[in-house]
Amino acid sequence: MKCNQIRELLPDLAAGLNAVTPETQEHIRACPACAGKLEDIRKTMALLDEWQALEPSPYFDVRLQARLREEAAQLRAGWLHRIRIPALALALSMMIAVGVGLFRGDRSKVPPVRPVALEKLEPGTAVGDLQALDKNHELYADFDVLDDLEVQQDVTANP
Amino acid sequence: MTSIASQAQAETATPLPGLAEGLTDAEVMLRVKVGDESAFEYLVQKYRRAMVNFMYRMSHNAAVSEDLAQEVFLRVYRSRSSYEASAKFTTWLYRVATNLAMNHARDTRQERPENMVSLDEPNTETGTTMDVADGSLTAEEALVRRERLAAIRNKVQALPERQRMAVIMHKYQQMDYRQIADVLKLSESATKSLLFRAYETLRQQLKDFI
Ligand SMILES: [Zn+2]
Repeated sequence: MKCNQIRELLPDLAAGLNAVTPETQEHIRACPACAGKLEDIRKTMALLDEWQALEPSPYFDVRLQARLREEAAQLRAGWLHRIRIPALALALSMMIAVGVGLFRGDRSKVPPVRPVALEKLEPGTAVGDLQALDKNHELYADFDVLDDLEVQQDVTANP
Repeated sequence: MTSIASQAQAETATPLPGLAEGLTDAEVMLRVKVGDESAFEYLVQKYRRAMVNFMYRMSHNAAVSEDLAQEVFLRVYRSRSSYEASAKFTTWLYRVATNLAMNHARDTRQERPENMVSLDEPNTETGTTMDVADGSLTAEEALVRRERLAAIRNKVQALPERQRMAVIMHKYQQMDYRQIADVLKLSESATKSLLFRAYETLRQQLKDFI
């Protein structure tokens, strides 16, 4: 093998990521230039080790869960929005029809109408979803505060 | 692959029942695809540290790195239905991560001051520095060490984008050139020379510290 072929293997060799073939080993033993390069790369890598890793903050999972939930809520809201518009239009036209019937004074044909409980909020309703989104925004505001705390922790935790 | 997997495995605090044994990540991902939430949780636990650190070395900012790492997992979750087991899971994960990191770097390039590398070192809000925690160092030693660390970060940051990503994956994520080639969609020989050039540049530029 030629020196330039060997040299491109050196980063993986220095990192211990690939097994050294006998051929490569023999070349490095016999070639001071390649052996020197390997040593250089090893030293460079050892220096790079000083930039140490960061631990994920304790809030990583909680925040990821919140982001997943928020996304699911948005998807659900979008989906409900699409089917609720026609449903609302239908309900509205029926109410208008009933209203017109009432106006005409033709009471005998009008079925008893119960007031629609618009303010009754259940999960899965469009209004309920909007409220859930508002709560998520509050949650996010709290997370912003946690972010500030975390930055300080990271600073002391990471050498 | 084995090294990332074993490294990540070691930090999995509580493997989920019935999941850890004998399944490849690709197989676990196929369970995410059919709606197994615990399978997704397993992958998050396994790779969150790797993702946070990859993003940290790409962005040099602890808070940003957590946001970006979460975004990686959100994207994995969003695209679970289109996952094909033909792609190795870690390759797919790091492709998502490198795309996000590149986009973030491009989006923030304009707002970034000249020397963004020193963003959290020393921290402008708290006035603290990252390595004062080591009480065994004298003030002078601590200063030298801080300078050396700043130089490492600056020189890695100054590498051309693909060399930088390759070095970060190779040095800090323990990926070999085959895996890096897959992630960056380069040939193995192109990746080898990319890595060799990157280490050569770093060696020359950091020679005062070696
Ligand atoms: Zn040689």
